[in-house]
Amino acid sequence: MTTVAEAVRDDVLPGRVWFYANYHCNLTCTYCLTESDPRAERRELGEQRMLALAHEAAELGFTALGVTGGEPFLLPYLPELLARLAAILPVVCLSNGTVFTERRLERLRPLAELPAQIQISLDRPEPDSNDAMRGPQNFRKVMDAIPRLVERGVRVRIATTVTAIDDEERERLCRLHRRLGVSDADHVIRPIVRRGRAVDHGLGVDAGPADLPAELTITTDGVFWSPFGPTVHGGRLDTDLLITRTTTPLKVPAAALLRLVQGRPPGSDSQLNIR
Amino acid sequence: MTGVRLIQAEQAPLLARSYYAKGDPGPIVAALAHVPELLEVTMPFLDVALGPSAVDTRTKELVILRTSAVMGCRYCIQTHTVVARNTGLSVEEVAALRGEAPLEAAFTDPQELALLRWVEVVAVGPGPVAEAARREARAHLGDPELVELTLLVGATLLLNRFCTALELPTSPKALRRLAAEGWT
Repeated sequence: MTTVAEAVRDDVLPGRVWFYANYHCNLTCTYCLTESDPRAERRELGEQRMLALAHEAAELGFTALGVTGGEPFLLPYLPELLARLAAILPVVCLSNGTVFTERRLERLRPLAELPAQIQISLDRPEPDSNDAMRGPQNFRKVMDAIPRLVERGVRVRIATTVTAIDDEERERLCRLHRRLGVSDADHVIRPIVRRGRAVDHGLGVDAGPADLPAELTITTDGVFWSPFGPTVHGGRLDTDLLITRTTTPLKVPAAALLRLVQGRPPGSDSQLNIR
Repeated sequence: MTGVRLIQAEQAPLLARSYYAKGDPGPIVAALAHVPELLEVTMPFLDVALGPSAVDTRTKELVILRTSAVMGCRYCIQTHTVVARNTGLSVEEVAALRGEAPLEAAFTDPQELALLRWVEVVAVGPGPVAEAARREARAHLGDPELVELTLLVGATLLLNRFCTALELPTSPKALRRLAAEGWT
């Protein structure tokens, strides 16, 4: 058993490795960690590189993969890549849920038979409040996409990212996702993290390594502590949560992350449940 | 103006943070922090190669300042002029090491002169070093000293080219000290 596998088994290290597939997006959300928008530099990790890294992650003893961006589904090869990744390790892919054409949905159908999930952002139970943060027509497109994924057997998670939500609104949101075919177990509510564009809008909570799970997160710029790490502000990549510039061999950043995790004082693990 | 953006404390990567714990870590760390995995091996290496060791501090400063002068590294010459003066080297010795006076005018110890000639043949290259210089160095230095000081030349060369290529800035404190003593 590898050192990483032991650390994952013993809950010293989270089992998931994240890939920042790209940084560009069709939306311009007010709290976006990476200042993603249609004009953002793409910084694609690349299909072959993600596959190679997935194999390395599995060999090292990691147990799951995550794909995020940007909007990963802007990459033409993504549906088939997700199936290939899921054949290596269980995978979750984060999406804004607005680019699911009928043709793309059909290409996702094989995921129904694989350990794969698509996590779609839905922040509010009504269009006006949701779209204020995420852009026009976002709510309508998400409402359209989720049932079409569910009816194809693709497992969908919903992520709600908010500064605060009262009980009544949360209940309306939960009724909505249940109606869409997404169970409570597949709905996560998390705070906005004050990084990226959220800084400019005065949104969210400050979060450091003590608040963020130590999930190895690979980008074209290097490897970071958690998918909340490789943020962009003012057009410049933040380096405060950078671990190494070396991405492969993956054992290099993995060993560095393990040393950082083991060096933390007792009791300083995640405090804000930011996942 | 530097040739590379220097990483400030608030952007210090996780593996680099300890170097910022006591304030400004200096431009070498602030540049290396762009690649944390290099920083965390380079700095301990430099600490051992340039820091206190079995070879006395004066001898090591002779090597560092002379190598830097031969290579024309503005940052290293300025920084180590201050270090050399703090180590106890005289104004005349420092001036000679900086190439502003003949070495023989400031140094009379045959061992130090042999070392300084060794530094020059190692630093400038290319190709094999002159046999006469090696013989002279071996006559005055044991194997451990020869190895350590030759590596020190190499480590200084690394810093010379790194600091020169990236135009790292000399600290304001060092510049004030240099000005007060009339150095450039």
